[in-house]
Amino acid sequence: MTLLSIENLCVELEGPNGVCRLLDQVNLSLSKGQCLGLVGESGCGKSMTAMAIIGLLPQGMRAHGKILLNGEDLLKADEERLCQLRGRKVAMVFQEPMTALNPVVPIGRQVAEGLRLHLGLTRHEAETRASQTLARVGLPVERFALSLFPHQLSGGQRQRVVIAMALACGPEILVADEPTTALDVTVQAQILDLLADIIDEFGMGLVLITHDLGVVAETTDTMAVMYAGRLVEDGPTVEVFERMAHPYTRGLFAAMPSHSSEGSTTRSPLTTIPGRVPDALSRPAGCPFVTRCGFATDLCSRELPLMKTLGHRHNAACFNIAHVEEGS
Amino acid sequence: MTLFLVKRLIMLAATLLVAAIVVFSVLEILPGDPALVMLGVSAQPDTLAALRAEMGLDQPAWTRFFQWIGGLMTGELGRSYTYDVPVSELIGERVVVSLPLAVMALTLSTVIAIPLGVIAASRHNKTLDIALTGAAQFGIAIPNFWFAILLILLFSVTLQWVPAGGFAGWDAGFWPATQSLLLPAFALALPQAAILTRVTRSSVLEVLQEDFVRTARAKGLSRNAALWRHAVRNALIPVITILGLQFSFLLAGTIIIENVFYLPGLGRLLFQAIAQRDLIVVKDLVVLLAGSVVLVNFIVDLGYAVLDPRLRSGGGHV
Repeated sequence: MTLLSIENLCVELEGPNGVCRLLDQVNLSLSKGQCLGLVGESGCGKSMTAMAIIGLLPQGMRAHGKILLNGEDLLKADEERLCQLRGRKVAMVFQEPMTALNPVVPIGRQVAEGLRLHLGLTRHEAETRASQTLARVGLPVERFALSLFPHQLSGGQRQRVVIAMALACGPEILVADEPTTALDVTVQAQILDLLADIIDEFGMGLVLITHDLGVVAETTDTMAVMYAGRLVEDGPTVEVFERMAHPYTRGLFAAMPSHSSEGSTTRSPLTTIPGRVPDALSRPAGCPFVTRCGFATDLCSRELPLMKTLGHRHNAACFNIAHVEEGS
Repeated sequence: MTLFLVKRLIMLAATLLVAAIVVFSVLEILPGDPALVMLGVSAQPDTLAALRAEMGLDQPAWTRFFQWIGGLMTGELGRSYTYDVPVSELIGERVVVSLPLAVMALTLSTVIAIPLGVIAASRHNKTLDIALTGAAQFGIAIPNFWFAILLILLFSVTLQWVPAGGFAGWDAGFWPATQSLLLPAFALALPQAAILTRVTRSSVLEVLQEDFVRTARAKGLSRNAALWRHAVRNALIPVITILGLQFSFLLAGTIIIENVFYLPGLGRLLFQAIAQRDLIVVKDLVVLLAGSVVLVNFIVDLGYAVLDPRLRSGGGHV
């Protein structure tokens, strides 16, 4: 059952030099109990997509297209309706647990706040529920009193509080924007396991935004690769990993550091994708990746490649998929 | 928290001592012989010497300093040359005017400025924000003595709601006494409120950019709820810093305002004591005023700890 369906989402920013398109024709869908991975390097529009889903785009940005949550178009909803949905149906986990919590409010009250707002619980009921939720994310009240302040917790513990806040009202969709980027590697694994357990347990959909392909491979059911505000490849995670069709996806994969299996002392330098993501104001006319692509032809710089179906729900936007696959 | 208090109390005492040393030294260095002022320039040298001995002026400076400090500790503030009454009595009579005035002015400026600043920030760059910022700029630019005169012209001369000056005295009852302090308190509060509005506005604007405000919004709080419940308390920390600093300006302001409104307060007493070279009064008063500034800053420090749990010591990691 499709929970969230994003159709032709575009986000535009009106600036002094005209309209600048930050997201272009993004199509995504997410079913109940599934995890969708959104991958790409910084500035590719992953977080922008997340903010559009929760309806908190920065002022001055306009979104059009459709974001359907159980059939209701969030882009058409008014602010009052969005306030009802945020935290209740769609919840968000942010990247920086250090700054995402209010430093002067005890954690219990921060978790209970949404419960009182959306479910109309009394202070006492909300606190009971908050302590249950905190216990579920690994912060039992015996060791972590509700009266603790964020500065008394470590980064991983704070991220658990942020997750508890998001979970409190039992949302249908959880959007996690790089939830582990700011944490230690060992803590990262714990937090990802926690998120995976939770979507199993509560049957919610998870949109996991990350730049870590390893995380995507382990955690997600479907994935979408974004580049310069557009989707370049999407499909079931297993298939995308098996048959990476877009040169950018391949580049991202090649750029992951890997252990040499023989334990040799010589290390090969990290593979990189040359160049940078083009600025939103000066994107090339054709394929946005053309300036950094090893397979680029004349056609690529003239025309924008559209998403082509390659197999079971697997799509990529590239003119040279055949060449890319031969080249491997 | 106890450690925090003890540290702040030690700071308080040290600051007061330094203030006393500075005040004493400045008055020592200042030319002008109080005995000569009292007797006039044509005084006989032997009369002058006798008076100097009586006033203790023939003793070395450090002896007089310690006598003075000892007196301050025990409440023996000495005797005014010009009024010929104990300084403590002199100050006691006037504190009952100046203290309520200062408290009223500070309360007024806070009550006016903080809501206005928050509202201006929440309407960032909209008409109301521009109007409030403009009004605040105007308020900063108006000298308070001039504003005081305008207030007198409007409320006392034209509308005849409150007396133009003088102090009814607390014996006359609470309302008449408060009434005579209303206009001076407003005159003092206006420039303070103007500055405080701007500080509050910019502080709230800054906090609104913070991630936790976005988190609050993501929880489903409306813009206003996120503003008042999450942003304002964080934004108040720099505001109370300014509030503490403003207290010293407020005291300086009372010297002028009490003269404009003819109020028998500490500001007027200080002004008269300086004019008449009543050095004992000046010394005691300045230390008293310095002490009140230090005390207010101490209260501000306690305010930080109330607002921001990170500043309460003793809260380590779990």
